[in-house]
Amino acid sequence: MDPDAVAKAFVEHYYSTFDTTRAGLANLYQDTSMLTFEGEKIQGSQSIVSKLTSLPFQQCKHNITTVDCQPSGPAGGMLVFVSGNLQLAGEQHALKFSQMFHLMPTPQGSFFVLNDIFRLNYA
Amino acid sequence: MEKDDGPSMEDQLELVARAFVDHYYYLFDNNRPSLSSLYHQTSLLTFEGQKIQGTENIASKLSQLPFQHCKHFISTMDCQSSPCAGGIIVFVSGSLQLQGEEHQLRFSQMFQLIPTQQGSFFVQNDIFRLNYG
Repeated sequence: MDPDAVAKAFVEHYYSTFDTTRAGLANLYQDTSMLTFEGEKIQGSQSIVSKLTSLPFQQCKHNITTVDCQPSGPAGGMLVFVSGNLQLAGEQHALKFSQMFHLMPTPQGSFFVLNDIFRLNYA
Repeated sequence: MEKDDGPSMEDQLELVARAFVDHYYYLFDNNRPSLSSLYHQTSLLTFEGQKIQGTENIASKLSQLPFQHCKHFISTMDCQSSPCAGGIIVFVSGSLQLQGEEHQLRFSQMFQLIPTQQGSFFVQNDIFRLNYG
């Protein structure tokens, strides 16, 4: 399958899960996964999902502007670099963000997030 | 309990990433052709959506960018270890001042650094995007 198509499909799945059933993100991470969220470092699926579900907003919508991807090496991993904006319910202005994922293949033929770094882009 | 006898693995990673980022942007801003020393034949650059592979093509692209002088200012740098051969993933955001331009451009960039046999790092993956307001 075309890597760009895989990256795009993953990104759509990730953000739609985030925006509708945030706790469902748990099966996209494993124990070795690392998230750096606005500079805070978190490791492991449980801690990561705990962080994401305790963010100070209930509803949000990610709108993706750009998706770039590259293969990361012989293990079949993919680096995905996303930029877009994040609309929080009740807020007038959307927040701009950039995020990178390092996806690794699972034996079942899908991907999990090994590395995840998120940053808001302030004006 | 560990003795407090130096930086932790995480601190070391941070130091290496920081040193690399400082070196990279210093070269970019002062001696752009020498950036080629940081890439290998397998290196991949995606620059504002354009995909380029290999030292020569990457160096060529960077030296042909439509500005002579520039200065990068780094706002944030995050890093994590990558399982690929002891690699490091680095995520940078900052601004780019072009000579003669009044307003700075904001950008984000990510690198995957892979260790070389000589004990330094090269850029295996590089993705650059401007962040429009």
